[in-house]
Amino acid sequence: MRSLRIPRSPKVIIGLSILGFFVFLMIFGPYLAPFSPDNTSFAPLLTPSMHHWFGTTSLGQDIFSQTLVGARATMVVAGVAGLVATMLSIIVGISAGYIGGFTDDGLSLMSNVFLALPGLPLLIVIDSYLPVDSRSNSLVIGLIISLTGWAWGARVLRAQTMSLRNRDFVESSRIIGEKRIRIMFTEVAPNLLPILAASLLFTILYSIGAYVTLAYIGLTSTSVWNWGTMLFWAQSNNAPLSGEWYWFVPPGICIALVGTSLALLNFGIDEFINPRLRAGGLSGRQRRRLGMPRRQRLGLTPVVRSVTTAPRIAVQTEYSVTP
Amino acid sequence: MTTDSMGVDDVVATEVPPGALPTTTYGPIVATTHGDAAMGERILDVRNFSVDYGWGENAVRAVDDVDVHLDRSTVLGIAGESGSGKSTLVYAITRLLRAPGVIRGGEARFNLGTDDEGEHIIDLVNASERELRGVRWSSISIVLQSALSALNPVVRVGSQFEQVLKSHRKDMSKDQRRSRAAALLAMVGLDEDRLDRYPHELSGGQRQRIMIALALTLDPQLVIMDEPTTALDVVTQREIIGELFELRAQLGFAMIFITHDLSLLTELADEIVVMYAGALVERASARELYEAPRHPYSLGLLNSFPPMHGERTELTGIPGSPPDLAHLPTGCSFHPRCPYAMARCTNETPPLVEIKGSDRSVACWLHVGDAGVAVPVELSRVATGTKKFDPATEVAR
Amino acid sequence: MSDATKGPVQLAARNLTRHFSVRTPGRLLNARRVVRAVDDVSLDLVAGEVVAVVGESGSGKSVLARMLARIVTPTSGDLVLQGTPIAIKSKRTLAYASQVQLVLQDPFASMNPVHRMSHNLLRPLRIHGASKADAPALAEAALRRVSLEPPSRFLESYPHELSGGQLQRVSIARALCIEPKVLLADEPISMLDVSVRLGVLNLLRGLCDDDRLAILYITHDIASARYIADSIIVMYAGQIVEQSRGTSLVDEPKHPYTQLLVASVPDPSDPTRDVPPTGEHAQIAVAEKGCRFNPRCPHVMDRCREEEPPAFVVGENHTSKCWLYADHEAAVEVALSTRRREGETATT
Repeated sequence: MRSLRIPRSPKVIIGLSILGFFVFLMIFGPYLAPFSPDNTSFAPLLTPSMHHWFGTTSLGQDIFSQTLVGARATMVVAGVAGLVATMLSIIVGISAGYIGGFTDDGLSLMSNVFLALPGLPLLIVIDSYLPVDSRSNSLVIGLIISLTGWAWGARVLRAQTMSLRNRDFVESSRIIGEKRIRIMFTEVAPNLLPILAASLLFTILYSIGAYVTLAYIGLTSTSVWNWGTMLFWAQSNNAPLSGEWYWFVPPGICIALVGTSLALLNFGIDEFINPRLRAGGLSGRQRRRLGMPRRQRLGLTPVVRSVTTAPRIAVQTEYSVTP
Repeated sequence: MTTDSMGVDDVVATEVPPGALPTTTYGPIVATTHGDAAMGERILDVRNFSVDYGWGENAVRAVDDVDVHLDRSTVLGIAGESGSGKSTLVYAITRLLRAPGVIRGGEARFNLGTDDEGEHIIDLVNASERELRGVRWSSISIVLQSALSALNPVVRVGSQFEQVLKSHRKDMSKDQRRSRAAALLAMVGLDEDRLDRYPHELSGGQRQRIMIALALTLDPQLVIMDEPTTALDVVTQREIIGELFELRAQLGFAMIFITHDLSLLTELADEIVVMYAGALVERASARELYEAPRHPYSLGLLNSFPPMHGERTELTGIPGSPPDLAHLPTGCSFHPRCPYAMARCTNETPPLVEIKGSDRSVACWLHVGDAGVAVPVELSRVATGTKKFDPATEVAR
Repeated sequence: MSDATKGPVQLAARNLTRHFSVRTPGRLLNARRVVRAVDDVSLDLVAGEVVAVVGESGSGKSVLARMLARIVTPTSGDLVLQGTPIAIKSKRTLAYASQVQLVLQDPFASMNPVHRMSHNLLRPLRIHGASKADAPALAEAALRRVSLEPPSRFLESYPHELSGGQLQRVSIARALCIEPKVLLADEPISMLDVSVRLGVLNLLRGLCDDDRLAILYITHDIASARYIADSIIVMYAGQIVEQSRGTSLVDEPKHPYTQLLVASVPDPSDPTRDVPPTGEHAQIAVAEKGCRFNPRCPHVMDRCREEEPPAFVVGENHTSKCWLYADHEAAVEVALSTRRREGETATT
């Protein structure tokens, strides 16, 4: 599909590389970890060294191994929550926007309620009712987070669907007798792809935040290692105050990096949706070489006389309409 | 396909909002030092003008080595289809063309008028931003096709006039500005009470009239009309054109009128240039072009309008589709669609040459005058008509 | 042309009416006004004939086309498809869609930018019962019918790869591939480049002549209506104000509005023609009472402001809704019957 041609801007490349690295950790992290994250046989509070890259905790666990192992749960929960929330927002948003009327009223009311409810307290309430063994299940946690994260995407998709539903190509599909459900998901939905992608990134970002927060305040099972539980242990042992920075900085940086990569990808999508952001496709260096002002002025078309002229590409027409 | 629409839409609307206009009416005007600098009656002289979209490998030539010129108080019609470069040309001349448009060469000399010090001439291509600001709106103004997108939707019509006058005519009092705006509206046949309306409360025809009145606010010498009536009904179109020509008779501005409707153009323009795929293919007086077209494309365009009387016969129009500017045919761009194409047309681009013994030009190998090429009778007719339509006197009020 | 040579009536509309309720701007909160978008329109679409509907924007011509396609529900009126009355308030059936198809104005907007042309052609075929195996061949045949060669090249294309003329042809092929009997075309050429318009018009005419399609051609361009149509209808403010078979409506317009419309068309061959006053500045363009054109009409009489004129016969197969012809009707009738009698005696 032509609309999937991703712009090769530095932002997208950097974003994809960082995200790819953490997906790699999600899959292989537990196997790469030199020690078990629960192994308490080392000396406590060692500073980073060749043997313990990120040092050890007050219980003598290897922080490097914890960071690698913790990547999986964090990323899985974020991925599950992001995907499920996006699915929910597609179903609710497109149905509300396309069908309209009472359906729209009902679904909009529901998503507004979820938007208005504060997400984190709701999560805490739901989470505290969970049986303890399912608190260690990443899928269950992911599903719960997705419940609080779909409403925003649904509202954006609803608005976009409403602007698409009166477009001629949708009317054309109605004229040929296409069923409503097919129009919604084969005609309207593909046109929302860039917005869907942005919404997916946003919900993943939200989910990481929500999961790490839940773990940090101790509401998930401490038997599952993730970056949030690492922060929880670091905090409860007063690591920030006693200068044991190597305990909480690695998980913090990981969270920040994943967030950055998602944000960079989102910029890429923005540039893709709005080609004007691509600044005419010319880097500052190229502009200088052509003798043009570094920034394009509005209302002042540049004049470039010197460079090679007239790329009037000459090709034979391949086909023509017979009169 | 429609390269000329890239970035051209609502240029004026977004980039020169009335409030953002400079306070100087005339910037320092550079008198050019060309040997043939004197322009006399000529108000705009554009030579060897080329415009690209994009740079380097991705560049597409949208306007290729075009010469156009017009005299004071005359009407130049530019005819062409989408992608012909007609809008790109005028936006580039006024330097309002947006990225990725780039002027790749040529000059566009504009004659601001003569006083004791002699002629004031400005080359728009070399002009600074400040100089351009002094010329735009006060000397050259533009009326766009879509008045709805060009008028600020949240500002009352009266305030839009107010803003223009406030920044350009500093000595005017509030009452003077109001009465000037009312007078302008009266010129286009609208009541003063329209000043208190928002654009969306007006009909399409009324909005377009307001655009025309706004363009005339500072008594420009040249008004560029980019398909000003295409979005309107024929009846409204007829009336607006009539009013426009009355105003021209009264105020004496020159006009560049861009449209795809060649039959409308032949009624109202003095001279017409026909563009195809970024190049000029024919230039002639309106009457000559209508009665005796020389370029096969002009002929095809004229034959594409079904007549309003006479027997109904099947017309063929022009076969094929307008070319993609990024993949132009070799030689003459029109040859794949041309019923008269010869071997030569497929590999040599015909230059725009003046036809001997006339003040018209055509870019077609048929008319180069080589021995052995017989010009088809339909492309060698002689123009006979002398009557010229004058909408100003024809439209009964 | 006498009724004997006419093909079967494929779709008949009787007294179609559509009212919209709109809020009046700048009035009290709940001030609502009924707009008569289409008022009491009757027409027959006959196999092998093109009926043109001419009107400016807001004349109701597009709403009329959508009512005929049954994607807009009429307020009142009847539709008869091939002799079978249709329950107008019920949901449109697939069977109706397979017989009556609508082509929209803007070919760029009416193609989904994310789908190839093959999707646009295969979907209608599959919806209307073609098997998965047959559909591609039928799609190619439909593209050949609209002169897009080679069809395989076009099936693979995305909308942005084709020109407006080509897209409009695909749009027509999409409507044709399920073999409807009635084709409604809503301003099919107004968004196209001038040089390709005639090609599309000739295509429509050919479909009508060769395949005996009944075509409704909606346009604001009366010259193109004259070029293509067997009969022409002029609409003003939701009503038919004048109609004729053949070109007599354009050649000898009777209704003041039609006269204005005809004179307003740019016509370089007759630059000194008289253009009547347009009445565009009338405070109200559409009268609530009497003849709807009366505020703009140069010939307005007292009667026009009070009573709505019926359709008067003003020539052979030519009627006009204007009080000017009230007294002429009898005279015209006499003249016509005399001419008919003369014609009969001449042939016998």
